[in-house]
Amino acid sequence: MTIRVLIFGALAREMSCKEITIDVTAPVTVRDINQALAAKHPSKSAFFQSARLAVNHAFAAPGSPVQQGDAVALIELVGGG
Amino acid sequence: MSVLVRISLGALSSQRLPHSFSPVPAASLQAPARKSPSNSASDYAQNISAPATEQVGATLVFEGIVRANEQGRAIRALSYEAYEPMATNALTELARDILRKHALIAITVEHSRGEVLAGERSFRLAIDSAHRKEALAAMDEFIDRMKRDVPIWKSPIYI
Repeated sequence: MTIRVLIFGALAREMSCKEITIDVTAPVTVRDINQALAAKHPSKSAFFQSARLAVNHAFAAPGSPVQQGDAVALIELVGGG
Repeated sequence: MSVLVRISLGALSSQRLPHSFSPVPAASLQAPARKSPSNSASDYAQNISAPATEQVGATLVFEGIVRANEQGRAIRALSYEAYEPMATNALTELARDILRKHALIAITVEHSRGEVLAGERSFRLAIDSAHRKEALAAMDEFIDRMKRDVPIWKSPIYI
């Protein structure tokens, strides 16, 4: 299945996009998405392997399942205030 | 105890939101009278209650102001991007946790989204507590955790 991962801030500027699309085979966990992102962008492999992901607007543990249609976002390099 | 969280468009007003335990009905907080870009229809307030004012012995207010330079380069503004509704939920959860942990009386958080010019306010955290020590500790912890866990990003707009 296809998962859209939203990205923000400096990462979005650097990659010149607002989302990364990955293709993964169900069943899928957050860890699988991290690994798929790392495989798609090997130059940032270490970053994507450990990046925090939110699923449906809440931080999700590596073993959490991800379903088709879930809102997935990469929440790193935040800096409010 | 009360928590009030608001993320609104543009710079913050110089005036704080109505004191969290003043007798202001929630409806008026959700539709402030002040006319500015920050009072858009998407503004909101949450979880308002009315604790006893006589318990408050300290009020601490921190305001974040956009500096005129970023990494040595002059900037015109910062552009804040909030991932909603997660940003508001995360701020609210953080405020509730800090409130409990430090036994505070009230927390009011305001954060800008969109563009905020250099010299303008983008963030305000007001803490009411019985004594200063818990308010000071809570202030520091809140800001550290917000910068780590709340999905708000800022981008410089250079001159």
